[in-house]
Amino acid sequence: MRKLAVLAVAAALPLIAGAAPENYTFDPYHTFVNFSVDHLGMSTLSGRFNKTAGKMTFDAAAKTGSLEITVETASVDTGDGDKASRPRSRDDHLRQADFFNSAEFPRMTYKSSAVKFSGDNPTELEGQATLLGVTKPVTLKIERWRCGANPMSKKAMCGGNASGTIKRTDFGMKFGVPVLGDEVKLTVEFEAYKD
Amino acid sequence: MEELLNHPAVQGGVAPFIVGLIVAAALAPLRAGGLAAGAGFLTAVFLVSGFQFSPLTATRKLILLGMLAPVIGLVADLAFKPTRATGPALGAISGAASVWVFISVLQQKPASEAALMGGGVALLTAWLVAATYSLRDRPVRLGAAGVTLGVGVGVAAVLSASASLGQYGIALGAGAGGYLLIQMLLGRQLPGGAALALAVGLIGGLLAGAALLLAQLPLIALPVLALIPLAAHAPLPGKAPVWAQAILASVYAAIPAAATWYLIWQSSRGSA
Repeated sequence: MRKLAVLAVAAALPLIAGAAPENYTFDPYHTFVNFSVDHLGMSTLSGRFNKTAGKMTFDAAAKTGSLEITVETASVDTGDGDKASRPRSRDDHLRQADFFNSAEFPRMTYKSSAVKFSGDNPTELEGQATLLGVTKPVTLKIERWRCGANPMSKKAMCGGNASGTIKRTDFGMKFGVPVLGDEVKLTVEFEAYKD
Repeated sequence: MEELLNHPAVQGGVAPFIVGLIVAAALAPLRAGGLAAGAGFLTAVFLVSGFQFSPLTATRKLILLGMLAPVIGLVADLAFKPTRATGPALGAISGAASVWVFISVLQQKPASEAALMGGGVALLTAWLVAATYSLRDRPVRLGAAGVTLGVGVGVAAVLSASASLGQYGIALGAGAGGYLLIQMLLGRQLPGGAALALAVGLIGGLLAGAALLLAQLPLIALPVLALIPLAAHAPLPGKAPVWAQAILASVYAAIPAAATWYLIWQSSRGSA
């Protein structure tokens, strides 16, 4: 009888292990922070940061998770990186003290503090964004989420899209407001592989 | 009105010039007309970014020292008798202060680059403060140096991809321009003293440093900017009216400023 109990516990161990939080590392080639902002009241200008890094943990059974992502501000890209005959391009300007001040603040970060679930899927992240040395709460809605195996490499992964809004003046980025919009829409596309 | 005050030319040029003019005219009888340059600079700060000091970034440290410089200068004018050592001492203190302003940026650079850039900015700031202080009893030349150093650094910052630093620099020049114009209109020289000299030298040096470390000002621009107060020492016809002396001194001092812009333009064309 005792042997049977030991065997049952041993058989259940993989299941217990499977329910533990799983750690993932973001794939920098498929994880981007995109932004859009009003330009002169005429159009919406979009751009993205090309260099990101981060990790997340996810536990579907316990409905818990956490996420931390770091963005290199100098990797900002609005499609105007070539200055041509001008002294500087728009992306050059965005890197300077008027906007992201990359020399003094080379990174901005987002660290989640709580994850809301609907069924088995996370739907909302609450967390703190730090930009230009200022930390403010930011909520991101997860609009798409899926975990499974990469169809080609068969590696376990999760991916999705999240979005939220910040006011750049909350972080001290006041240049050009209100001619250049204060409200910035963020959309994050991410894929992460299980460690 | 709000739309007008949001216009970059009003924020960095028109409003600081008007404030500088009023301050120079109103305080000249009290021998404090030299506060005009600092007043012009602070007008632009108020309109562009406001007075916020947390977190204390390099630009905010610059603004903090920009608030203190004219006041310290005025106290020095009123309370102390200048000696030969005053200018170099103020320069040395200002150079050291520039390291404090930019330390958070310098710490993130390789040691050799930090030493070169931090040392360059400290030397420029020390030199500009000492050199403008040497003009404190020559109001026309001091005003001309203030206009050209402010506008020189401001346009250089714009060409180096920072519009707000550009506005601050041009505002410094516009405030000094108010002080110079009052002298031209009255036809007599009004003391600017250390209040103007310290504001122009310290804020001008720190703005050049910010354009170098936070934007894309090439290092080669620093020694050329350093020539501005030196050019303001060029001979002027003593018997010429004040307005003519002011124009001539400004033309002399504008030559290194224009050379700086040309260098930046050429340098940006050569870089990818």
